[in-house]
Amino acid sequence: MATDPADVLIIGAGASGGVVALRLASAGFKVVCLEQGEWLDRADYPGNKLDWELKARKDWATSPNIRGLPSDYPIVEDDTPVSPLMYNAVGGSTIIFAGAWPRALPSDFRVRSLDGIADDWPIDYFELLPYFYRTDRQFGISGLPGDPAYPPDAEDAPMPPLPIGRAGLKVAKGMDKLGWHWWPEFNSINSVAYDGRRPCVQRSTCQSGCNEGAKASTDLTHWPKAIGLGAKLITGARVSRIETNEQGLATGATWIDQDGAEHLQPARVVVLAANAIGTPRLLLLSGRAGNPDGLANSSGLVGKRLMMHPFANVAGLFEDPLMSWAGQFGDLIESLEFYETDEKRGFVRGARWGLAPTGGPINTALPSRAGEQAWGPEHHTHVKTHLGHGANWGLFAEDLPDEANRVVLSGSVTDSSGIPAPEIHYTMADNARRMLDFHIERATESMEAAGAYKIEVDRLMRYSGWHLLGTARMGDDPKTSVVDRWNRSHDVPNLYVVDGSCFVTSSGVNPTSTIVSIALRAADHMVETRFEQQVPA
Amino acid sequence: MTVEEIAILGEAERALLARVADHLIPAAHGMPSAAEVLTDDRLRFVFGARPDLVERVRTALAAGLADDPAQRVARLAADDPAALGALQLAIVAGYYTDKRVRELIGYPGQEAITIRSWEVPSYIEDGLIDRVLARGPVWRDPATGERAVVANAPRTYAERFAEAARGPGGADDGHDGA
Repeated sequence: MATDPADVLIIGAGASGGVVALRLASAGFKVVCLEQGEWLDRADYPGNKLDWELKARKDWATSPNIRGLPSDYPIVEDDTPVSPLMYNAVGGSTIIFAGAWPRALPSDFRVRSLDGIADDWPIDYFELLPYFYRTDRQFGISGLPGDPAYPPDAEDAPMPPLPIGRAGLKVAKGMDKLGWHWWPEFNSINSVAYDGRRPCVQRSTCQSGCNEGAKASTDLTHWPKAIGLGAKLITGARVSRIETNEQGLATGATWIDQDGAEHLQPARVVVLAANAIGTPRLLLLSGRAGNPDGLANSSGLVGKRLMMHPFANVAGLFEDPLMSWAGQFGDLIESLEFYETDEKRGFVRGARWGLAPTGGPINTALPSRAGEQAWGPEHHTHVKTHLGHGANWGLFAEDLPDEANRVVLSGSVTDSSGIPAPEIHYTMADNARRMLDFHIERATESMEAAGAYKIEVDRLMRYSGWHLLGTARMGDDPKTSVVDRWNRSHDVPNLYVVDGSCFVTSSGVNPTSTIVSIALRAADHMVETRFEQQVPA
Repeated sequence: MTVEEIAILGEAERALLARVADHLIPAAHGMPSAAEVLTDDRLRFVFGARPDLVERVRTALAAGLADDPAQRVARLAADDPAALGALQLAIVAGYYTDKRVRELIGYPGQEAITIRSWEVPSYIEDGLIDRVLARGPVWRDPATGERAVVANAPRTYAERFAEAARGPGGADDGHDGA
């Protein structure tokens, strides 16, 4: 029996897929989504159980290569110092993301104009602002209004800020001594009951799924509403290729179920929301007549310009008990003091700092991120002085686009469905190295000003590729970009890319707020131009 | 070795595990040794949560390597760090999921803490946030390339709060929540 075509087929049920599905379903579109993962039950999440720290290192690891779950696909990462991180389920990586919710800044959209490097975006901060407000409401954001690191807002975050904890206050006072910017972090984590979800209870286990449902993930915030409006979500559906016709239009997608059976889902419009690894992988798999350049790739840029935000960690240890195993893992406070370019520093662009809790006793007792370990009688001293006595500045360096940093198809590794795995080639740029070195020095000074008696540094953390960006960039010129300013493929007029692949430059902040705002803007445009949309006969 | 088989580990394997555990985490500073804590129940708990550790732990405890725990750890660190990592994790996890050990280190677990969101944070009451506002905008205005200048920007949180209370009460972009 033939399957009825969807008005819009979305591939991937994560952050951007959820946003687009809800918007289109609310406008009356017949939406179908294919998701290779499953619905999860938050009662099963380990954060409120004794074995949390054990499971966080395997089944709840942020790296799919460590998890190796049936819903995951392998990523060949022999040629990168940074491992890509993601989760495959309804909700996608929002299931395990920290929940920090900074927006990209105005200067992030004008990197070429301001700093003479990389590229400008075809859109800007102020054009996105209404979408920031709407997605803040949809996801449920907690935050203190008035952050002077951003232009004044016309709308406050819908919830008051989360606590910054003793660790946040301690480090904030250090920043105050130095006269440096800090602000309570905006998080997509409820500080009060919101939209049928409970408030945060400060377990700090956000990256292992939120037992309370307090952290926004689209399995909670978007998919139930989209399904209520008629969207159809098919789980356990691994897409192997996007299908096209002789006219060069997308006609749907072929997918493989968990028993290995192949299916075709026809569609009038196809939307890719599979993250900046999964999306180029699918485009490269979908060339007509085996074209190795793939689909939507006349620019040759599909898979190229991968950006992942090189990440360093500066941990301060304090005499005072800070209970820093507790608190939202999103972030307690942030700093954008050194975010903007100052060429006297020897590099362009900058980094955001986010202060996070430090984990439980197993994490404390095992060798640290910085490689320190303590065994023998001093083990006990180590645990007692570290557990609950630390504060971690995470430093996210802006990653500039480089075509040599790329996703290609592996010639030898496949997933469990026999589909070629993505293979990552990524080198950290000298500019980013100098940037991180500078920020490590400043963050060290911040910890010293706060009274830390010992500071431990991880100069580049391997498992830090949370922010996957840039592999199908947006632009006005089809020769130098994959999608247009509305996220539509230049080559395939009924194919859209709405995940972080579309980023032109990476900014230096956690990107989810910006990704979903761009996705909502694209969905609005799809609704507004629905009668002009070219579709297959 | 399955989880059920932990209780019937060979005497030599179990003894070696205890020696390595005590080498890594000995009794000191008022804390018990790991061997004292790592009962069969604790090991069953660890391997029940992480059955993938079982084979690597067995490798780390295999006969033929050094019997001296320090030498064995050093050999594993050089030749099979994955097996050593599994052994360390099993020992540490068994130890720090023990109720008495948690009490001794003052760790209550990832307990639920009610947020008191109705209370004014101390960083507002004490004026800490006002000093951030008083320093003015931090963002770079793309129109000028310089730090932004915002006319009449609030210099204290009280000013910001009063301004927000007078304002339109949030932007209306013409769309509902979807």
